[in-house]
Amino acid sequence: MGGFFSSLFFGLFGTREMRILILGLDGAGKTTILYRLQVGEVVTTIPTIGFNVETVTYRNLKFQVWDLGGQTSIRPYWRCYYSNTDAVIYVVDSSDRDRMGISKSELVAMLEEEELKKAILVVFANKQDMDQAMTPTEVANSLGLPALKDRKWQIFKTSATKGTGLDEAMEWLVDSLKSRQ
Amino acid sequence: MFAKLKKKIAEEAATAPRSGVRIPRTISKESITSVGADSGDDFASDGSSSRDDLPAQLLRRNDQIRKLEAKLSDYAEQLRIMQKTKDKLEIALEKQQDSSIKKLQDQNECHQASRAKVAEGMALALEKKDQEWVEKMTDVEKVYMEKASLSSRLEEMMEQSLALFQKRDDLDELEGFQQQELAKVKHMLLKKEEQQNQQDQELQLKEAEVQSAKRGLSEAKGKLQALEQQHEESCSLNTELEIEREELLLLREEADKKMSKLERRCQELQSVLQQVSEDFQKSQSMVPTLERSLHELQTEHDALKLQQQKAAVTEEDKERLLVDLQKKVISLERRLQGNLSQDEHLQEFLQEKSSLEQSLEETRAELLLVRTNHADTVSSLETQVSRMSCTITELQTLLRHKDDSSRAYRERTDTQIADLEQNVVESSERLKSAERQITDNQQHMDKLQGEWSAEKAFLDQQVCLLQQQSEEKASCLEESITALQTERQMLHDRIADLDDQRGEANSIVSQRAEELEQCRAELNSRQTVSTEIAKALEETRRQKEELQIQVGELTTSLQSSQQELSTVTEKLALNEEDIKTLQNEVQCLQASIVKLQEEVEHQRVQLEQMELDKDSQLISLREELLSQTQQLDSCQARISYLEVEVETLTEQLHSPEVCEEDQNGSVTVDDLDHIQKVNRELEQQLTDKNRTIKQLQQRLAELKRTLQKELKLKPEPEAEGKEKFPESRADKQERFCPELLPASMLSPPTSNTMVTNTSDLNDSREINFEYLKHVVLKFMSSRDVEAFQLIRAVSVLLNFSREEEDMLKQTLEYKMSWFGSKPSPKGTIRPSISGASTHWS
Repeated sequence: MGGFFSSLFFGLFGTREMRILILGLDGAGKTTILYRLQVGEVVTTIPTIGFNVETVTYRNLKFQVWDLGGQTSIRPYWRCYYSNTDAVIYVVDSSDRDRMGISKSELVAMLEEEELKKAILVVFANKQDMDQAMTPTEVANSLGLPALKDRKWQIFKTSATKGTGLDEAMEWLVDSLKSRQ
Repeated sequence: MFAKLKKKIAEEAATAPRSGVRIPRTISKESITSVGADSGDDFASDGSSSRDDLPAQLLRRNDQIRKLEAKLSDYAEQLRIMQKTKDKLEIALEKQQDSSIKKLQDQNECHQASRAKVAEGMALALEKKDQEWVEKMTDVEKVYMEKASLSSRLEEMMEQSLALFQKRDDLDELEGFQQQELAKVKHMLLKKEEQQNQQDQELQLKEAEVQSAKRGLSEAKGKLQALEQQHEESCSLNTELEIEREELLLLREEADKKMSKLERRCQELQSVLQQVSEDFQKSQSMVPTLERSLHELQTEHDALKLQQQKAAVTEEDKERLLVDLQKKVISLERRLQGNLSQDEHLQEFLQEKSSLEQSLEETRAELLLVRTNHADTVSSLETQVSRMSCTITELQTLLRHKDDSSRAYRERTDTQIADLEQNVVESSERLKSAERQITDNQQHMDKLQGEWSAEKAFLDQQVCLLQQQSEEKASCLEESITALQTERQMLHDRIADLDDQRGEANSIVSQRAEELEQCRAELNSRQTVSTEIAKALEETRRQKEELQIQVGELTTSLQSSQQELSTVTEKLALNEEDIKTLQNEVQCLQASIVKLQEEVEHQRVQLEQMELDKDSQLISLREELLSQTQQLDSCQARISYLEVEVETLTEQLHSPEVCEEDQNGSVTVDDLDHIQKVNRELEQQLTDKNRTIKQLQQRLAELKRTLQKELKLKPEPEAEGKEKFPESRADKQERFCPELLPASMLSPPTSNTMVTNTSDLNDSREINFEYLKHVVLKFMSSRDVEAFQLIRAVSVLLNFSREEEDMLKQTLEYKMSWFGSKPSPKGTIRPSISGASTHWS
């Protein structure tokens, strides 16, 4: 009954909030990206034990962005948040060549979830301002993105501290979300 | 005796015609209906009262009363009818009496006639007749007695009816009183309602007053706030002015500083100027000395020029002298040429000439030296002069410059000083004005503060007054309200009392109605009794005739009934016996039940024993099976061994067949037969054993099946004991699987991924706890939409069952929506009631 009315409500008054998850290994820069998107500033962060959720408005589209902590022990709890997700922003530390394999396995495990079958994937090759950063193509190849099928994905080179690449990525995400509707 | 009788008969005869024409007593219809009619409708008119319940109830009661009254009127009508019938019956009775009297008279007449007839001749028969008469008299007396009793009854009835009438009158009166009471109550109620309305109005007025007072208070508060704002503004102004003042003071200090600086600079400049002027004076004093030196130098220069000219003149003289000397030389040479012989002279001359030339050259060199010296001195002097002139010009230009600069500087300094002075003046003026302003402002402020304080005090007083007034008013109002409430409560109480009274009255009415009904019923019963009596009267006669027959019949019937009774008693006795037997049977049955129960228990025990036996059998069978399989194995081993032996034997047989065919032929054949026999026997044994094994396996399977059935029947305590057996264990595992599976699902799948095994357990647990804390906090604090998304995480973290998770979801949906009902608690949060737990589990 309530669900029906809320759906009617949503039908009458604009669109519903898009649900976006920001995932990635610990220290990839998820929280920095979230607050860069929300307030447009670089904030000092501490390791997220838990999650942050903020409402981000981008081009008149409201996003409910969930930044889930990427610590090893709390990564298994990501799956609790998968339902009703429209898009996944997967953040990769481009300078961390050692843990690229772990990042790939986590991504693959995540993409196999049934609840995320329809979610759009945006990969942020973050920390491009670092000297030893891998290029987006290198990151894409090491994550095995070209092998993905039945999945709308795109990779962007970003730097959350410098604020580069985030706008393009969000533009692409908004366009693809709008086209999907 | 007879005279009396006669008299009575005469009286009866006299009264007979009168009683026959007696008009039955009528009961005034109006008296009943008029009493009943005026009740009721009163309540219908005052249905407009504010209380809805009471009028409704009143109306209902009125309706009931009306109904009761209608019933009453019906009853009255019935009563009237009854009365009529009673009258009729009375008439009939009288008639009967008349007829009986007539009969008596007839009998009397007959008797008199017979007496007249038989008076003389029937002296003997007189006694008989007398006896008869006596009998008849007794009869008559009986009849009289009956009549008297009937008349007394009638009188009683009449009295009762009178009492009834009285009762009805009382009832009517009561009803009237009740109605009056009701009307009074209504009136009181109306009054009270009016009072209440008035009090409500007063209350409203007082509330309005309170509101106006509150408004006044709020206005005063507003004023106060405005004043406070003004005060704040003035304070802010004050502070601003103080700030300005401070700034101005600072400016003044700065200006002072500047002034002092400027003065210092001025002094410096003046000192510089003085120095410059001193320099100037010095330079000016130097100028004449320099001019003097210049003059001296010029004079020197002139002198030198003169010397030069002199030197030139001397040079010219010397040159002339030289020329003369050369001429002399030439002349001397001519002389020499003329005086060829005089070599010595010549030589001397030549010597002289050379010496002279030498001297000339020397003089020339001297001259040149002098000249060069002179030129040098002249040039040096000239350079000195030029330098001096240059320095002079430079000094002059410098002087001029300095003059200019000093003039400009002085002008500038003058202008600056003037400006600064002006500035100073202006700043001082400004300062003064500012001070004045400040003082004005302060005065203003003081004034304002004074005014404000006065106003504030005034307003405070006013506010206090207003507050007091309002408080007083409020207290008054509250008191009045409380008074009104108490009044209202009293009114309510009164209403309740009145309701109670009314209820009591109603109950009285109902009681009265009941009484009336009872009376009516009594009356009816009495009437019926009277009718019955009348009937009885009629019937007595009949009975009189029939009684004898009836008595006979009754005696017969009594006999028959006694007989029946005896039979019935017999039957009863039989029945009792039956019952006794049945009870015995029942006891027997109970005993048998007890026995059966015992048997059942016994059987249960037996069953358990059987189970145990079966278990032991099973174990033994297993052991047997094992032993038989071992036997089988051994047999097979033996068979294989024998086969090998047979083969070797056959080989041996074959080999000796070649060489020793004739010698050992019979033996080998016998051996072979023997071996084959043994073989066959062994094969038979094997097949038998196989069969027995199969049978044992079948039995084992059957036993297993029965055991499983029994285990299913009572799995709790025995399951633990029989866990040793593999099949029960498998069963157990199967049973545990659904419990283990969700547990593994619910626990975080750390073991599944290779990635997550790195951190140690303790640390991860700590992080998990922190994570749980964070998630729960977020779940509690976040919006409903977000909380809905978090249900899953919370339920995973806290190992909620699916039911509990669904319950949580439903609860959140219920909170989010405007509709729906609160879901019932499930899982662990249901009330912990031990008795009802079996329902849920």
